[in-house]
Amino acid sequence: MNDDLKPKITLFHCINTVSEIGGFSLTGRDNFELHTVKLPCSSMVKDVFLLRAFEAGSDAVVVLVCPEGQCRYVEGNIRAKKRVAWVRNLLDEIGLDGRRLSLSNISAGDNGAASQIIQNVLKDLEDLGPNPAV
Amino acid sequence: MIVGEQKPISEIKEIIAPYKKILILGCGTCVKTCFAGGEDEVAVLASALRLACKKDGKEIEIEEFTIERQCEDEFIQESAPAISRNDGVLSLACGAGVQALARRFAKSPVLPGVNTTFIGVLEKQGVFTEECSGCGNCRLDIFGGICPVTRCAKKLLNGPCGGSQNGKCEVNPETDCAWQMIIERLGILGQMDNLRIYVPPKNWQTSLSGGPRKLVREDHMI
Repeated sequence: MNDDLKPKITLFHCINTVSEIGGFSLTGRDNFELHTVKLPCSSMVKDVFLLRAFEAGSDAVVVLVCPEGQCRYVEGNIRAKKRVAWVRNLLDEIGLDGRRLSLSNISAGDNGAASQIIQNVLKDLEDLGPNPAV
Repeated sequence: MIVGEQKPISEIKEIIAPYKKILILGCGTCVKTCFAGGEDEVAVLASALRLACKKDGKEIEIEEFTIERQCEDEFIQESAPAISRNDGVLSLACGAGVQALARRFAKSPVLPGVNTTFIGVLEKQGVFTEECSGCGNCRLDIFGGICPVTRCAKKLLNGPCGGSQNGKCEVNPETDCAWQMIIERLGILGQMDNLRIYVPPKNWQTSLSGGPRKLVREDHMI
């Protein structure tokens, strides 16, 4: 990815897994935009929200959910996982590359893991380049 | 209900290629229930098409609208202003809905976005199964409410073929043998004598084999 371009990432997260995104640091990486969407449960992440994040110019979309078996609403994270898989296929089909969308299970309050996930996405974006539909 | 499946995005892109302004029109009845053409599916498809077209450098305006039922003029009427604003309509209804729109709006191209597959039921969340072929001469009364015309691969009307194993069809082992289910159900109902009833060869004239069918209810006509 061009160094002049600021990657834009939209992060959907369950409030039970990360309460405040400001709570984790991304040492050494400030050349990107992070938009966060807090959800009472990751099951509320609908297909269209993920797609509209890309329409709004995101280069990557990340969904953070609770570990499997630990969803407060029993299966919200499983539903989110299935939707994300479905939208990834859709992104592949329209040529945007499904790798731009990812889902990760992280334990409640593990800000270090959240930070690492964002770092990995930024690294992936170096290969993927900017959102071709912007 | 009528069960349908949304066409692949690549096919939809080809279908809408000649148009600059397109209305994606959903139907809030059967195809909504089977996740093919309700309001949510309209929104997802519109978003995916906008992304796909933008990526390909193609300019297109996509409007979204959903009506309660595309097979009835009374509901179709609500979509008239939106249809008049666009070059074409991509209907996410079943084939009946597409044709009802085409009949109502003679000058607007109406395009199908869904493949209509069968008349079926929601077996469990996310699974739809075909249960009725619309043959026009229902005999579910003697078959214990299980249709061999639709659910038996050989459409046998006078008992099982003898090829099923462990209750599964020999044509497709994933399908339950309709005759096994009929016999079990008749046993529960105490109607095993139904198996003695000879069912003559079916007259398919009442099915689609006799050409498009029409139902007239004079008592409801104005």
